[in-house]
Amino acid sequence: MATITGAQGGAKIGSQIGRSLPRLEARDKVSGRAEYTHNLRLPGMLYGKIFRSTIAHGRIKSIDTSAAKKIPGVFRVVTAEDIRTVIPHPYYGPAFHDQPILAIDKVRFVGEPVAVVLASDPHVAEQAVQEIVAEYEELPAIYDEIEAMTSKVFVHDELKPAGAFADLKHLTGRKNTNIALDFKLRRGDVEKGFAESAHVFEHTFHTQKVLHLAFEPFVSIADAKPSAVTIYTSSQGPSFVRVEIARLLGLPENRVRIRVPYVGGGYGSKLYIKLEALVTALSLLSRRPVKISLTMEEQFYQITKHPCTFRIKSGLDKDGRIIARKCEVYWNGGAYADVGPRVTQKSGFTASGPYDIEHVHVDSYALYTNVTPSGALRGFGIPQLVWSYESHTDMIARALKIDPVAFRKKNILRKGQKHATGTPVNDAPLEAILDRIAARLNWGKPFERGNGAVKRGRGLAIAIKAVIAPTTSVAILNVTADGSPILYCGTVDMGQGSDTAMAQIVGEVLNVPAESVRVVPRDTDITPYDMGTLGSRSLFHMGHAVRMAAEEARAKIAALAREVGEPEGSNVPVAELFKKKYGMQAGNIVGSGTYKPDYIAPQPGTGLTTNVAPFWMVAGAGAEIEVDTETGKVSVTRLINVVDCGRPINPKIVETQISGAALMQFGFTMFEKMHIDGGQVTNASLADYKIPGILDVPAVMENETIDSIQTNGPFGAKGVGETATFCVAPAIANAIDDAVGVRLTELPLNAEAVYRAIRAQQNKPLEDE
Amino acid sequence: MTPFELLEPVSIKEALGLLDPDDPSIRPVGGGTALMLMMKAGVFRPTRLISLRRVGGRLSGIKAGRDGGLTIGAMTPLAALEHSADVARVAPVITRAMRRLSNVRVRNVATVGGAIAHGDPHMDLPPVLIALGASVTVISPTGERTIKVEDVLTGYYETALEKNELIAELTIPAQGARRSAYIKFTAGSFEDWPALGVAVSLEADGDTVRSATVVASAATAKAVRLTGAEGALKGARIDDKTLARAGDAGAQEAEVISDVRGSAPYKRELIRVHVGRAVRQALAQNGATH
Repeated sequence: MATITGAQGGAKIGSQIGRSLPRLEARDKVSGRAEYTHNLRLPGMLYGKIFRSTIAHGRIKSIDTSAAKKIPGVFRVVTAEDIRTVIPHPYYGPAFHDQPILAIDKVRFVGEPVAVVLASDPHVAEQAVQEIVAEYEELPAIYDEIEAMTSKVFVHDELKPAGAFADLKHLTGRKNTNIALDFKLRRGDVEKGFAESAHVFEHTFHTQKVLHLAFEPFVSIADAKPSAVTIYTSSQGPSFVRVEIARLLGLPENRVRIRVPYVGGGYGSKLYIKLEALVTALSLLSRRPVKISLTMEEQFYQITKHPCTFRIKSGLDKDGRIIARKCEVYWNGGAYADVGPRVTQKSGFTASGPYDIEHVHVDSYALYTNVTPSGALRGFGIPQLVWSYESHTDMIARALKIDPVAFRKKNILRKGQKHATGTPVNDAPLEAILDRIAARLNWGKPFERGNGAVKRGRGLAIAIKAVIAPTTSVAILNVTADGSPILYCGTVDMGQGSDTAMAQIVGEVLNVPAESVRVVPRDTDITPYDMGTLGSRSLFHMGHAVRMAAEEARAKIAALAREVGEPEGSNVPVAELFKKKYGMQAGNIVGSGTYKPDYIAPQPGTGLTTNVAPFWMVAGAGAEIEVDTETGKVSVTRLINVVDCGRPINPKIVETQISGAALMQFGFTMFEKMHIDGGQVTNASLADYKIPGILDVPAVMENETIDSIQTNGPFGAKGVGETATFCVAPAIANAIDDAVGVRLTELPLNAEAVYRAIRAQQNKPLEDE
Repeated sequence: MTPFELLEPVSIKEALGLLDPDDPSIRPVGGGTALMLMMKAGVFRPTRLISLRRVGGRLSGIKAGRDGGLTIGAMTPLAALEHSADVARVAPVITRAMRRLSNVRVRNVATVGGAIAHGDPHMDLPPVLIALGASVTVISPTGERTIKVEDVLTGYYETALEKNELIAELTIPAQGARRSAYIKFTAGSFEDWPALGVAVSLEADGDTVRSATVVASAATAKAVRLTGAEGALKGARIDDKTLARAGDAGAQEAEVISDVRGSAPYKRELIRVHVGRAVRQALAQNGATH
């Protein structure tokens, strides 16, 4: 299916590709006209409010809803028992069918939904929720991913893979374990490599629990009838929601309709099932439309980024070449797998980094724990890995007294070389990116080191990601009788500007302005299948599908011209062609495109494959920082991001994706952290969990796309939504080391952590609490 | 948020009449910015809120006294302080502190009285007001009394206010030759609540301190004077040694608490450093006019 024809990498392009067109929906958004699920109300609609577990792990002894039911205005109080009357097996999940719609028998994390109150007035529902009393028999709980490896506390009694993924089948029915996936990559013989090494380094790194915090919190509405259901939802993957709801209800896909207007941010949180199954069950029970809107505070109990522990060991020859690398990565998946096993596997491919290493050994484990589930967050695990391997890279360079840039150049993967998976590295200009970062930092030239209490330093990092594969996108293009095109594609515009980019691709193929293309809102009754808006895959995959659909339409327009007797290459408007054919303004031309890239599944046991992904994402970052040595406070004075996105379809939107991604990771790097005490999140609100504000933005930010072409990409392009997240954390940590000679191995790099490291280095460690 | 009754009395007398000292679910509310956070988090579920926004009279406005001091109505929004020429003249430290006090949306709504009555140690205004020697006039059905701001705050979200009392106005005495500074140290985001606030107000002859008031907040359960640090500064020449002594004294005497913004030992170090930094900032101010 991936035999690609038409406009490719180096092909000549016209007027629409490369245009910094303002987003098509921008005016509607800033004037309050854009549709969001939050603003939607259906006649007779009830509001649901969730009663949540207050303990991390326990058996449910009783749920007393009697007082809640007595509150005037309460329509109904629902528990798992009720859910089962309409959905007999109410477990969902993309990788494992492990998550109950409402807790059944046990609760597994603080904040897990246990019951729901339905009322016409959401405030009444909230008041009634306070009256519900649940009694639990508390069970021992585990929170740490390393403890989960060997603990006798098991979050689930038995593993329940969803069956969609071949590489999870072997886990079916496995008991007495918290390991939801164990991915292995084996290249060469790592122990032999270590034995032959002149130097061996081993370090362990940690990342903390953080979350997406989209400014539109989760919201879903279901209008369900026994024979058909319509769901309006803030989702990044309407096609998956349809498949999963159809499975839960035992309905064919054409009886399940998922509608997604504009989405106020997703970042990976709004993938797969979130509130959709719950509102569907509630609507079936109540026979009314049901809406659940989470508060900002409730988002802390829906989905988060994976905390991670990464043990990395490298062996080097006497010349500073890395010859062996062992990576043990432990992913803290929380109470339900969500897409964690996918993060574990797909990021595991590139855990050894953008380096040419003969012997590579990767073990990547997805682990269940008793905290809010973890999922995808703008990078699918890659930022956690890069944080570790690029900190490790600098630590080795420093220990061997090799310049960090020279050390990277000695080991960097170059064009055509095989990556650890065995897949050749093409269209991945790592060295060019490293050179640009170094040039911008004036690397090798003198650097102002600061004075008094303030010390200055600089650092850099580079990274590689294999885009998730294989995935499929389908698009339909409808040219109406007056020639105006309508595009049907399931890519969700959640702020990244995809509607604008897709319209530009249509415009390029049909030679019309992108502004003239209508992109219809996502509706699974209308828009065809798409695997999901995730992992920076949309521009490449859906971009190809849209291109193919437009090319088919263009070919049909040419055929119509011939049919009505117009000469080859005639510039008669499309509307005239229709008129000539039908005698009036009538008819349509419909083109469609389906894109699925070539892919060769990795061999079980070794993880090796000659085609792990259709494209590589590569990035670099450089940072200049100041450390107040008396407080540990770090100020990032300059942050440089250089990424490869192939040919930018819309350079202005690309730049906002780079700066947005870098700033999001900047928050995760410098201060964001969910504080968890005995399973309780102690800062679950925006009052206590701060994300970067405008005053946190580094004084100088430089965003650059390297001049390149993705040979197999649509018009030479590829995705860029995540790329600038990869390198921010290690670049800053490396700069801190450069400034004050201390090495932090755990995120965030907040003032206290830096101060403690400085004190420890002075042999005057600061006492603990 | 769960349903509650909102009343908007138009006089102090009417407002006092609506309070019920025996019912903790009935509370007066100023701008509501702090109370709303508690209500959204479910920590506080009122049955009735008595909004003071229509009360007016003594509760509103900023008046410059002939003696060089200021009287500020309790319901004055923080933004009014921020933009007041009188405040900038008498107590420019307040004007400067406002720029980093939460954000413009909060400052437009939050009130002076609320910032004191809420008893939250992370608020920026109380330590500054204590350093300036400010006091409040509170009214109850039986009369009124004046209390120094440092005596209003008695503990973590605890105040000396009786349940039937309302703050009517705030008085800032004339500052004369006193110079003041406030440092807000955030451990994470620039817009986070402070891990430490330090306010200093002092009078100096050249580089010798005649008297100093030093206040710590946020790291402590309440905004509190660091009298040891004050003692170390009084009569001393300002140099690195004096400031280190004052910082050490402050770090030793302050009862710091651990929270998500930092451990107690770390906050103690922050006090050690910032007492001196705040003194230097205060001295750098060009007298009471900026």
